[in-house]
Amino acid sequence: MTRWALVADLRACVGCQTCTASCKQTNATAPDVQWRRVLDFETGSFPDVGRVFVPVGCMHCEQPPCMEVCPSTATGQRDDGIITIDYDLCIGCAYCAVACPYQARYKITKPPLAYGKDGKMRVEEYCEDPARFGVAQKCTFCLDRIDSGLATGLTPGIDPAATPACVNSCISGALHFGDRNDPDSNVSALLRENHHFGMHEEMATGPGIFYLWEKAHDKPDSDINPQKLASRGVGGVGGAAPWLQQHWDWRVTANFIGGGTGTGLMAAAAIASLFGATVMPFAVFALVFVLAGLAMVLTELGRPFRSMNVIFHPQTSWMSREALLAGPLCIAMVAAAWFDISLLALLAGLIGLGFLYCQARMLHGGKGIPIWRENMSVSLIVSTGLVEGTGAMVLISASMGAGVLGAMLVLILVRAWIWHSYRHNLAGNAPDRSIAVLGQYSTAFTVIGTILPFVLVIGGLMLPEISHILYPLAGLGALLSGWLLKYVMINRAAYTQGYAIEHSPERSAGSGGGAGAAPGWNGAI
Amino acid sequence: MGNDSPTNSRHVATYCYQCVAGPDLLTVKVEDEVATQVEPNFAAEKVHPASGKVCVKAYGLIQKTYNPHRVKTPMKRTNPNKGKDQDPGFVAISWDEALDTIADRMKKIREDGLRDESGYPRLAASFGGGGTPTSYMGTFPAFLGAWGPTDMGFGSGQGVKCYHSEHLYGELWHRAFTVCPDTPLSEYIISFGANVEASGGVCGVKRHADARIRGAKRVQVEPHLSITGACSEEWVPIKPKTDAAFLFAMIHILLHEHPREKLDLEFIKHRTTSPYLIGNFGFFMRDPESRKPLVWDANTNKAVAFDTPGIDPVLESAFLVEKAVEEDADGKVWEHFDQRCFSSFEKLVAKFKQYTPLWASEICGVPAETIRRITIEYLQHARVGETIEIEGRVLPLRPVAIMLGKTVNNGWGGFDCCWARTMLACLIGGLEVPGGTLGTTVRLNRPANSRQASVISTRDGIMDYPMNPTDEENWVSRPEVRNANRTLVPLVANSPWSQALGPTHIAWMMQDQTPQNWPKPTMPALWFVYRTNPVISFWDTDSIAKTISRFPFTVCFSYTHDETNHMADILLPECTDLEGLQLMRIGGTKYVEQFWKHQGFALRQPVVKAPEGTRDMSWIATELARRTDLLEAYNKAINRGAAGVSLSGENFDFNLDETKAHSVEEIWDASCKAASAELTNGEETQGLDYFREHGYRMTPMSQLDWYLYPSLEDQNIRFELPYQERLHRHGKELANRLHSRGISWWDHQLEEYDPLPEWKDYPGIWEQALEKNFKIDINDFPFWLLTSRSMQYAWGGNADIQMIREVSRNIGGHGGVVMNSGKAAEMGIQDGDLVEISSPLASTQGMAILRQGIRPDTLLMIGQFGHWATPLAKTFNAPSINKLVPMLLDLTDSSGSSSDLVKVSVKHIRTPS
Repeated sequence: MTRWALVADLRACVGCQTCTASCKQTNATAPDVQWRRVLDFETGSFPDVGRVFVPVGCMHCEQPPCMEVCPSTATGQRDDGIITIDYDLCIGCAYCAVACPYQARYKITKPPLAYGKDGKMRVEEYCEDPARFGVAQKCTFCLDRIDSGLATGLTPGIDPAATPACVNSCISGALHFGDRNDPDSNVSALLRENHHFGMHEEMATGPGIFYLWEKAHDKPDSDINPQKLASRGVGGVGGAAPWLQQHWDWRVTANFIGGGTGTGLMAAAAIASLFGATVMPFAVFALVFVLAGLAMVLTELGRPFRSMNVIFHPQTSWMSREALLAGPLCIAMVAAAWFDISLLALLAGLIGLGFLYCQARMLHGGKGIPIWRENMSVSLIVSTGLVEGTGAMVLISASMGAGVLGAMLVLILVRAWIWHSYRHNLAGNAPDRSIAVLGQYSTAFTVIGTILPFVLVIGGLMLPEISHILYPLAGLGALLSGWLLKYVMINRAAYTQGYAIEHSPERSAGSGGGAGAAPGWNGAI
Repeated sequence: MGNDSPTNSRHVATYCYQCVAGPDLLTVKVEDEVATQVEPNFAAEKVHPASGKVCVKAYGLIQKTYNPHRVKTPMKRTNPNKGKDQDPGFVAISWDEALDTIADRMKKIREDGLRDESGYPRLAASFGGGGTPTSYMGTFPAFLGAWGPTDMGFGSGQGVKCYHSEHLYGELWHRAFTVCPDTPLSEYIISFGANVEASGGVCGVKRHADARIRGAKRVQVEPHLSITGACSEEWVPIKPKTDAAFLFAMIHILLHEHPREKLDLEFIKHRTTSPYLIGNFGFFMRDPESRKPLVWDANTNKAVAFDTPGIDPVLESAFLVEKAVEEDADGKVWEHFDQRCFSSFEKLVAKFKQYTPLWASEICGVPAETIRRITIEYLQHARVGETIEIEGRVLPLRPVAIMLGKTVNNGWGGFDCCWARTMLACLIGGLEVPGGTLGTTVRLNRPANSRQASVISTRDGIMDYPMNPTDEENWVSRPEVRNANRTLVPLVANSPWSQALGPTHIAWMMQDQTPQNWPKPTMPALWFVYRTNPVISFWDTDSIAKTISRFPFTVCFSYTHDETNHMADILLPECTDLEGLQLMRIGGTKYVEQFWKHQGFALRQPVVKAPEGTRDMSWIATELARRTDLLEAYNKAINRGAAGVSLSGENFDFNLDETKAHSVEEIWDASCKAASAELTNGEETQGLDYFREHGYRMTPMSQLDWYLYPSLEDQNIRFELPYQERLHRHGKELANRLHSRGISWWDHQLEEYDPLPEWKDYPGIWEQALEKNFKIDINDFPFWLLTSRSMQYAWGGNADIQMIREVSRNIGGHGGVVMNSGKAAEMGIQDGDLVEISSPLASTQGMAILRQGIRPDTLLMIGQFGHWATPLAKTFNAPSINKLVPMLLDLTDSSGSSSDLVKVSVKHIRTPS
């Protein structure tokens, strides 16, 4: 079976951006949308400095994280390995964009014009494709050229008419395209004759872009680039370093806040109902939180009128699963509120916990954001949801008993431990700026979310006459700290994976390559 | 795409010559009469050295065509006041009104006289981009040819933005207006600031990439890690403007640290003037009768004429010459009897004893061992003694070369670097031989299309050169143009390119200050500006803007509003790159790495219909000729070949009727037919239709034409190195001429006519000039500010193309000032901070871009920005070096050029929130 692959010879690339420009024209991409582009890396420090130009784009992975998370099945994988997007199915949730560790996906909601208000160019008018507005887009490997070329007996990678435009345009001979599964193909020969690596290979995505960096030689493996990864963490420019993700804005955060608080509250109410507490008004509040969150995220979708496509991919997408649970959850919460029956509350609580778990896994599925894909983000999102829920319960009902207070404090302690472990795990496993931002907010989070509730509850115990003020304040702290946590995790500290090279290329055949670089990272991945 | 199955889709072949490293071939995809994509011309894969590809700039042509900011109708100024702060008040006018206004002015000029009271042409014209505008201006050169004297000496970048020393000395020494390695065969290249990966075009990029992967090694010696440095095996961060010291030390190492046998002694003896004997007065010792230079023959053990058959010239020893003469300046002859003298080579050896690696290391900031190691590698890779067969001819193979970049090979020190680089090639026999250092084009020598044909021997056995005369009788004492090129610079010759290669800034400087005993400065009565924007691209741009604002009548061919046409009286919108019609010569050997195995012609043709109000340049030229009553002379010029090809030849005659105005298509149809005939010796005469369909027509060219060595060998001619006897004489004569007229302000420049170069404190020249002219303490300006080209922008005039702006930002350094990360940390400056950069002349602000790949004492501003009128570009807020570099006579070398570098200070303004 054919497996199309792009080979980028780092020894040859000069960063001229001809491929970038050619791609932009061939695919008529909007300003600032670059399906193909070339990054500019620096390695080492003065005066022992290197500089490497690295073409990037969709890697057409063997195990594409984007496809796994896509809730609408818009993202697909052809038999020849090309990752496709069905613009008619895509709902524009951008989940794929945050799941892609190569930052290869774009979403624009309206056609930005090259010259803005000064006028729409005739070529822009002619090439405009409304089907691309509000949906995910990325490199297609110029599959229309491949398919039409194959149909007329041409060979992709050899015949220009059947070859991706970027490869055709490459002036230094750095870009090559062909069938990796054909041992006689041009790319197979290049991969045999040269040492190569894939980007972020440790993530096991099986990227379909192969970077040549050194001529193959007879040296034992142990001698091959002894400096491998030794200088990770040096500076980077030209967009190589991680940047703050822009695909999921505050509206997505609102969904995590609404969903977490609502389901946490529902679960708390369900437990409390076992001890005789009324389900009302907590179930109503829980419902409002959940619905508000869902409403917010709906406005963030590029194609809200196709939002029901979100349920098309429950096999692997936690977003589909969350969406599928949303209906039963709301019904159960309405029923629990309406009938005020503990059993229904328990049912709603359980579905809510499922919903909360889906949300946690959904964030965790954003593989392109290292602080999300860290495993403990799941328990952090779940635990904070429960903290928020109990905190909300305490806030709503100042007369709560010691049980809820105690549960809240226990959950706060659990969350604090998870938070500590989460940050510990991130050390070396997340971009420097992510870690720095989490560090900046950590004190506020700990004070508001951990210390303050304890102090206030203890204060309430010591000064019962004002406990009706102190306890709700403790609940408020628990609640707001959770919201702050999500805001920080999604909108402030969510730096992308960025780009990394395992090796810098040799600049004269036989001289051997040099150290790699992961701009914006200090430790090994 | 909006239309999946366009009803009308086709590819139109054309060429791109936006940068000097072209021309290259491309096609444009046109769908439903909309130009949508630029693509390579795959049909040219076999003939074009870069497989029919074009660089990123060509892809910007789509937006250039449809840019909403285009000027689409002739316009006239309504505000008589000119200046940066004045609204020109342009209003649309008809073509008739525009052309008649210009023609009336021009006719008045003819009535008043083509030259003014100071002897300067009343008409001036400035073009940009290293001659590339010629490939877009159609028959406009024929119009200027018909007109007569035109001052083309108002520079827009020439001299300070080009490889000026290389242009002049390269042409003198090896017909090398531009120099490049024989990259396809090269094994080892030392590049002093040459930025081939940014400015060497697609041929340069492809050849060097192939060379790297083949195993060739390149060492980049440069204060910052450029694109080329990035792609090199080694980066040597040298102190700015000290390259000559490094090169001198290399010569020292070859001459004083290695046995002579390691050098190519045969080449040195027989292909250079090294054995020529030097007399007491610094000139060749000559045979009293034949006046031919003498060499010492080992066979007969006496001094004989250099071309005596069967001799074995001796390079080193002290010689006692029985009878000889020296030819001094102005015909003065010295007679010698039993005179002890030395060879040129010995003079070289003696002079370079002082330039040790240790000496150079202190100047360059590069360890002596690094200089020594690189020199040894150079020598080892030279393969002295080896040969290669090219098309049946056995030639030396010397796969090493040294390249020089901008700022290295212009201004003070440029001569030294060019001389040293060429000398280093001679020492290993690597000049103009396979694998070695090659020239790729001529612009001053004639004929323009053949380097080889210009190889004619002088009496001295060296190549003749069209030097401007310096003797009393023939010296051009009254400058013909305002930059006085032929008067001050003998080397600049007298070709159509010579004005642009004079001291072009002097034309600007003298508008404000008349030097002693010099004709009164005058302004041109009419100034044409085409594809150039000197208010942005020259140096001391604020003063250029002020000067231009005083010009009485400026006509700008305008694509968009810009900083220079802000001061114009008339704007003429032309058809742009993808809309005009023109035939041009391609292939052969041209700029930089453009040496092909084919040569021929390519057509630039309308890919899409031009906007209604724009006109083809050839139409404009014809109309101007008609309205100024110059039609006959104009047609004659076209027939003669002023539009690129002579319309008649031995076997063909497509001359135009000289009495009629011809359409654009008629002119180029005749040109296409003549071109076909020229390529086929008159056998085929296909016209415009053929070229429209095929885009180009080529004929094979011998690879031997890449090399000048065979021509020299065939005629037993020598390269004029190491000793510059001829230049020394011209320098002395020029001094006599100037001094006899009371002119002493060029004395500093006259010192450069040394027969052998001598290190001068080149960084110090800059520092002292700034201290003297601005009364500052140079210690307050601790950084060197440099500039560098980028492939996205260089020569393109494309700052207003959004796509170019977008993609260029993927490459670090655009849009701000690049600074060493460590130095910035010391100063509390973070990446992205706003900083103020001040030279003694002016200040500018920009974003700090922190990199490891730059010396701590150096700053870098890429490209040429600082726009305030050009749409889109004026929003960049990108700092430009051009505003900060002062135009000073003290910074002008004898060839009339300077370097765009300056000392500056850095002040932290703020950290963006």
